[in-house]
Amino acid sequence: MTIVTGKAETGRRLQPGRSGVLRNVWQHRADYAYVLPAIAVMLVVIAYPIYYTIELSFFKTPPGLQLRDKTFIGFDNYTAILTSPVFWKVTWNTLIWTIGSTFFSFVLGFGAALALHRDFVGRGVLRAILIIPWVISAVAASYIWKWIYHSDFGIIGAVLVGLGLADQPPNFIDNVSTVLPSLIVVNIWREFPFAMIMMMAGLQTVPEQLLRAAEVDGANAWQRFWHVTFPHLRNVSTVTILLLAVANFNSFIIPWIMTGGGPSNASHIWITHIYELAFGRQRWGVASAYSVLLFLMLMVLGYFYVRALAGNERKEGGA
Amino acid sequence: MTRISLGGAVLRGTVSAALMVSLMSASALAEAPVDLSKWSPEYVRSIAGTQDFDTAADCGKVTPLDYKGRLTFWYQGVFEGDPDLLRQYYKDFFETFRKTYPNIQLEEQALTYNDLLDKFRTALLGNAAPMAVRLQILGGTEFASKGYLQPLKPEDVGYSTEDFWPGAMKAVTWDGVTYGIPTNNETMAFIWNADIFKRAGLDPDKAPATWDDVVKYSKQIHDKLGIAGYGLVARKNAGNTPYRFMPQLWAYGGGVFDEATANPTYKEVELNSPQSKAALQASYDMYVRDKSVPVSALTNQQADNQPLFVAGQLGMMISHPSDYNVMLDLQKKATGADKDKAQTVIDNMRYGLIPTGPDGKRAVVFGGSNIHILKPEYVEGGKVDEPAAKAIICMWTSPEWSLKMAYAGSNPGNLNGFKTKWMKERLDSIKFLDVTTSMLPYGIPFPALPQSPEIMNIIVPDMLQNALTGAMTVDQAADDAAQKVKDLMGGL
Repeated sequence: MTIVTGKAETGRRLQPGRSGVLRNVWQHRADYAYVLPAIAVMLVVIAYPIYYTIELSFFKTPPGLQLRDKTFIGFDNYTAILTSPVFWKVTWNTLIWTIGSTFFSFVLGFGAALALHRDFVGRGVLRAILIIPWVISAVAASYIWKWIYHSDFGIIGAVLVGLGLADQPPNFIDNVSTVLPSLIVVNIWREFPFAMIMMMAGLQTVPEQLLRAAEVDGANAWQRFWHVTFPHLRNVSTVTILLLAVANFNSFIIPWIMTGGGPSNASHIWITHIYELAFGRQRWGVASAYSVLLFLMLMVLGYFYVRALAGNERKEGGA
Repeated sequence: MTRISLGGAVLRGTVSAALMVSLMSASALAEAPVDLSKWSPEYVRSIAGTQDFDTAADCGKVTPLDYKGRLTFWYQGVFEGDPDLLRQYYKDFFETFRKTYPNIQLEEQALTYNDLLDKFRTALLGNAAPMAVRLQILGGTEFASKGYLQPLKPEDVGYSTEDFWPGAMKAVTWDGVTYGIPTNNETMAFIWNADIFKRAGLDPDKAPATWDDVVKYSKQIHDKLGIAGYGLVARKNAGNTPYRFMPQLWAYGGGVFDEATANPTYKEVELNSPQSKAALQASYDMYVRDKSVPVSALTNQQADNQPLFVAGQLGMMISHPSDYNVMLDLQKKATGADKDKAQTVIDNMRYGLIPTGPDGKRAVVFGGSNIHILKPEYVEGGKVDEPAAKAIICMWTSPEWSLKMAYAGSNPGNLNGFKTKWMKERLDSIKFLDVTTSMLPYGIPFPALPQSPEIMNIIVPDMLQNALTGAMTVDQAADDAAQKVKDLMGGL
């Protein structure tokens, strides 16, 4: 009896995981059915292109031939990319662009969210105004900023010269040293409202009672922020930063429209470079290899994003 | 004794007569409708308005006017730098086509010069191209060499090869086969503001004779008046850049290959020859040494130079005769004192021949566009309605419409267009047309190679940007560009 019972117990111990998963799937069969169409579409429009891009990255695609005339070259495209000085320049530009844009967008957005979280006259109007850069088309914004920055008759230059602060208009986007920071400013201007909205939503979740209790206990404004508000915003901050970073890694419109990656490749970031390689120079194989590398990097970011979201869910579940 | 049968004699006679007629018609066809050896403004005036054409009747012979079909068509259309006049002619063309062929369901799509190639290439990869396309002159050989285009020659739509500029026909020919028909051909001219010249102490009625003079004049204008002298354009992926730099390069005796010679072979890369470097040095001198050109040249297109010019902030530029109409359009939109200022610029606008190089060589890009029919396997739906495609091609390349669609900015691809009454009207109404038509014999086509778009739109502008930003010296930039062309030609 004892032996039998023991076997039965061992069997039960092995089974729960599998049968539990299956039972769980069965119980949520309707949910799976609901997401099935979306998954099917994703397989067609995402999975296949990813597969094809990976495949293409192992082929040489001379610009003078059709794509079907490609030849297999193994990892040569990857070797060529990693040994190319342009790759490292573009990668450096991409890192500066992504880190600079993400950091300053987040800090500005967070600051704006904290300011707008307080109650004051005109708060609603100000909030609406601050959202405008995020709402308007990136293409329109790029053209507007191109004229604002224009090295010969841009508004900023005219104002500075008019006020006697400069002898001639500053050169923002026709100079290899200033072009990337100038584009980052435009990107921050466009993105910080997103961070602001996210952080404002996060601020709504900070319990008022805790803040009041802290105040009663004698905590000053900074201490209340640092010990009560900020810990509550940690997860939303992580998600916001990751979303901004992913969006910035994938940026295209602003640099492409404003400078086309120039002058002298000084504002080329990965996506604009990939676009030029593929559609301007028809190096589909090399462009695909670049895309695979970018994909891998984004997967790493995606992993952290999912982990952050899972952390949020666990905390909410625990609460 | 030889016996001659009546039947045999009739047969021989018929064959001989047919052969003679065919040779006569062949020689008649082989004769160009205009005498290119006599080309001059006076000659162009003398032939204008001497012949009438009935476009609908001519095209009806190619595709019956009651033909029922469907056509998808992409074309390089008007953009922000074009005058309103041209917009109206494009509108009129499609309205007329729909009236002439009421049973052809036309789905047309206009794309700008800088977007068309990228979009077209992408569509081809997905077998989603249109049935017919009008591409910039640079694009013909790229797509023909890859096998995307159907053979198509002027004779297929009722015209003769000799009706078109020989240089333009080269751009649609690959491996001895013709794959398209030129719609328009253009050569630009040199434009200057006489008032600025006068205020800068230059002869207001005299264009700079050489490119070295352009460098000197540009500096003098900048130093004396504090404005930009010459409208340099060096943006990447913009057609405007090669159209302005290549004439300079060729005038100095340089080139990408030997495309400026009578019989180019495209074998040797000459982008880093001493002559090519001298041309690049001239641009460097204007941008870096003298700072006499717009600082924004690296991100500018010609459309950005136009407001500078009409505002009296730019002394010289290279462009089409249509820029005069663009200035008129811009002046209409100006208000208050700006309107008067713009009028002063327009009154002082002068056109002249593009300057020569140190050895007296004058050159200009022989530009334009071509129209093509795609192979069915690359077209959305896998079918090409050939009669419908030929109908629109016949109309666009007709003497009437090849002229009207090039009314202000270009010249008719079909040489018979010069004989129409609209050419006469155009000569009277479009100022400075004489100058740009006078530049036609100096026109040099871009190399008729599939690699030309990358060379002209990416490698040449990159070379300019590398030198002008100081990222490389002039020598390094030229050597780097030459190496890129070699790699490209070697299939890398």
